[in-house]
Amino acid sequence: MESGVRRWLVNVSLWNPSVDQFASVVSLLPEDEQRTITKYMKFDDRKRALVSRLLQYSIVHEVLGIPYDKIIIHRTLEGKPYLINGIGSPFSNFNFNVSHHGDYVGIASDPLCLVGLDIVSIMIPEQTTEHEFMSNFSSYLTALEWKNIAKTGTSEVKLREFYRYWCLKEAFVKATGAGLGFGFHRLEFHHKNWTDISVYIDGIESREWKFSLYKIDERHWASIARGLANGADEQFDASLPVTEVGFIQRTVDQLIQSRSHGAQQNSC
Amino acid sequence: MASVAGTAFAVSVRPPRRLQQVSNHLSGLKSVSFTSQRKSFVSIRSAPRFRISCAAKPETLEKVCSIVKKQLALAENALVTGESTFVQLGADSLDTVEVVMGLEEEFGISVEEENAQTIQTVQDAADMIEILLEKKNAA
Repeated sequence: MESGVRRWLVNVSLWNPSVDQFASVVSLLPEDEQRTITKYMKFDDRKRALVSRLLQYSIVHEVLGIPYDKIIIHRTLEGKPYLINGIGSPFSNFNFNVSHHGDYVGIASDPLCLVGLDIVSIMIPEQTTEHEFMSNFSSYLTALEWKNIAKTGTSEVKLREFYRYWCLKEAFVKATGAGLGFGFHRLEFHHKNWTDISVYIDGIESREWKFSLYKIDERHWASIARGLANGADEQFDASLPVTEVGFIQRTVDQLIQSRSHGAQQNSC
Repeated sequence: MASVAGTAFAVSVRPPRRLQQVSNHLSGLKSVSFTSQRKSFVSIRSAPRFRISCAAKPETLEKVCSIVKKQLALAENALVTGESTFVQLGADSLDTVEVVMGLEEEFGISVEEENAQTIQTVQDAADMIEILLEKKNAA
């Protein structure tokens, strides 16, 4: 039975299309999406933007069965993509979130809870130390979080801890759609060795949000935030599944093929 | 506030600053909090000394463009204008924070975290810097 839950990852460093191949894949998407993709200055950013959109359309098609050419995805003012024509779907609040960083583009969907996904690629600019890099973000983490980071170990480990906190905060603001301007310092993450992760918002523990962290590879991590806003109904709280599902790796070729397969089905 | 998946499901989160900025644009004035003075929105509007301009001076914008190019490691001749969004230029949220820090250093000003997180275009950054510079020079 379709659950509406998906967690997909694509390693874009494995896809190296020629200029023509890239253009032909771009042309599969609606025109306004094509325009947005070509506005990116760097090719790697265009590639990530394209794959992000392929994932969005694929997930909607696969979960809700809407034909590719009928899918309409818009963005909020904050830039969060969402499906316009999901009405009539069996899922009361099907929503999804995409993220990309470094070599990976990912997507997560949920039938009921708001879901946010953030992927980080753990790296620092050249000619900067871990300490210098992290000091740029001193006001974005709370004193307690910085204290926990300081306790850990080598600069490398501290950097990874920093990225985990950042990743969780991003996933949260992306799930709520609040996006920019939320104020990361208002969020404080508590955890037991990165399990049992909970968030305190403005000093108050939130029981409506669940978080998980995944190691994708040595350099990449992903975080998922799932929750219900509008104050938790006691009922809903009990029904939030505790365990998270893992990520499935997909390839760009698979995503492209599933589109033409979907088109063939519709023309039968 | 974001409506998701075309349903009536509403998220009750305090309206994000970006939306506030948009509506302030419409009323012709930006809401910016000044770190040292903590003036309220009303008193800023009524104080005659502060000429709050919505558009940065050309030279400010130019300087911001060149700093942004350097921070994001773009080519010298890369086309960066006021309309360019940081996202289009290849900046993620971490990069944007760093760019703002670089701008703070270059201009000798300080941007509050919540305002820094609302900067989406190069013009946004330049406008915010212009306001902070005017405030600094008027002080």
